Amino acid sequence: MKPNRRELLCAFGLALAGGGRAERSESAEAARPAGEVGLPKQWRKMRKFDVHNHVFDPVHRPNANWSRVDNMVEAAESLGIEKLCCSNPITGGVMAGIKDVREVNDAVLAAMKRYPERIAGFCFVQPGNGLEALDEIERCLDRGMIGVKLYNQYKYSDTKVFPVAEKCIARRIPLLGHSAHLTDARAIAAQPNTSDSLDFCRLSARYPELMLILGHINGGGDWEWAIKGLRGCPNVYVDTSGSVLENDTIEMCVRELGHERLLFATDQTMEGGVGKILSAELTSPQREDIFWRNMQRILDRRQS
Amino acid sequence: MIIDVNAFLGHYPFRRLRFNSAAKMVELMDHNGIDRAVVSSLHAVFYRDAHRGNEDLYEETKSLGARFTLVATVNPKYVGWQKDLAEAVEHWKMKAVTLVPAYHGYRLTDEHGQAALARIADYGLPVVLTQRFEDRRQRHHWDVAEDLELKTVTAAARSHPRLRFLLSNWIGLDGQALVDAGLKGRCLIDFARLDVLLRKDVPKLVAALGVEAIAFGSHMPFDYVGPSLVKLANLETLPEADYQKIAWHNAAAFLNIDV
Repeated sequence: MKPNRRELLCAFGLALAGGGRAERSESAEAARPAGEVGLPKQWRKMRKFDVHNHVFDPVHRPNANWSRVDNMVEAAESLGIEKLCCSNPITGGVMAGIKDVREVNDAVLAAMKRYPERIAGFCFVQPGNGLEALDEIERCLDRGMIGVKLYNQYKYSDTKVFPVAEKCIARRIPLLGHSAHLTDARAIAAQPNTSDSLDFCRLSARYPELMLILGHINGGGDWEWAIKGLRGCPNVYVDTSGSVLENDTIEMCVRELGHERLLFATDQTMEGGVGKILSAELTSPQREDIFWRNMQRILDRRQS
Repeated sequence: MIIDVNAFLGHYPFRRLRFNSAAKMVELMDHNGIDRAVVSSLHAVFYRDAHRGNEDLYEETKSLGARFTLVATVNPKYVGWQKDLAEAVEHWKMKAVTLVPAYHGYRLTDEHGQAALARIADYGLPVVLTQRFEDRRQRHHWDVAEDLELKTVTAAARSHPRLRFLLSNWIGLDGQALVDAGLKGRCLIDFARLDVLLRKDVPKLVAALGVEAIAFGSHMPFDYVGPSLVKLANLETLPEADYQKIAWHNAAAFLNIDV
């Protein structure tokens, strides 16, 4: 599952014709140890479910540009990521109408159709859309989605979120929430309703049976604060994604929360997301649980 | 062989770092197959007298010389910085000089920054510019530093056409903007925050600047090393010579490291 050779060479602007450079490269590859330096052997073949990723482009429209989705799937293939759980949240502080919400979910549905074995859908809704939001969840589930994604339009302790949580409980599906404990004034001003781990705890305390996932522990914000805030909330899962790759994040999650609550994810930081799980001081069974088995257990609860 | 050009030793005031002593970092390097790290002192970023941090760095690593290549930190607003820089470069043989204007209270474009850049160019050494140490969204309330901006780098490059730049821990680099600023052939960029696969940052920069412009970097001990090892593994299908350039050769050539 290494990167496609032709694609990578083309991306670097290197000639494939003639075979001279390619021939030398192949012999050099053969001379290089099969297990990549410093990484666990066979790391590409380790099973992985990425529980937090995105389809951001309107690929459901005619003549859509699929390049970013295709690149994501190709990267997943290279990195050994079997499943990509994708959503398409409306960002930028927008309170959208239900028509726009349906349209972003249609993009995810189109990606699921193009890559049925690789892409699973999380249905984005805005709790402020009321009953229409609940209907949209049903529409998404009917078309094969497996969870719900909330962004930062409402704090998760807001009563408007409760019907969505109850719908997720009724349908036995996970609720993945955007999160951050922001400490920077500009970031707070840009996302005033972003939930931190204590908001997740409040929702979880009200609905302990809810399969609630705190999104991107490394998505920007004080992750140490976030982890400590979750210590008293045993029913909240944590996804490991985000662009921040800081050493000790995963170990602190395991120390404070237990590895059974961790779900591998990348949120588009795909090489980094895989790399930090490979680097973290984990046992092989712990790594396997985080990479895929913990999420499988969540999905199995829908069937039980 | 791997040379990591994005590494630091010492304490960071806003978060506990593991592997931030020379001995611990060697353990981390051995575990990850990294032969040599290009390091500067975090103490030098936060001490009033940055050169005391250079002293710490020299003292801590002098028995481990083969594993570390040292980068001096200079604060051009501090009295006697020229003499301190001479000690770091001429006596301690530090191979590059880093400037942290956001932490030392000046700009690369003001008189202090310009004087430092000119002096570094006179030594024929590269300047190391780290875009940021950590994400601003998690900043401590005493941490008021802003990320360096690309336009600051390109302005510095234009005003010091002989100076070479090691751009450390950057994201959002526009290869064409670097070319336009005359940086092709005189910059080295580490890929700690860049994608090989998804966004293809590294292939795009190679297309603009040549494979000689890219180097392995991990931002240790702040960040895990694994992400950069994964990126390097994703470059294994390159021709062997290009792979080796990114893994270590570009760093050795750019920093005059004897390997």
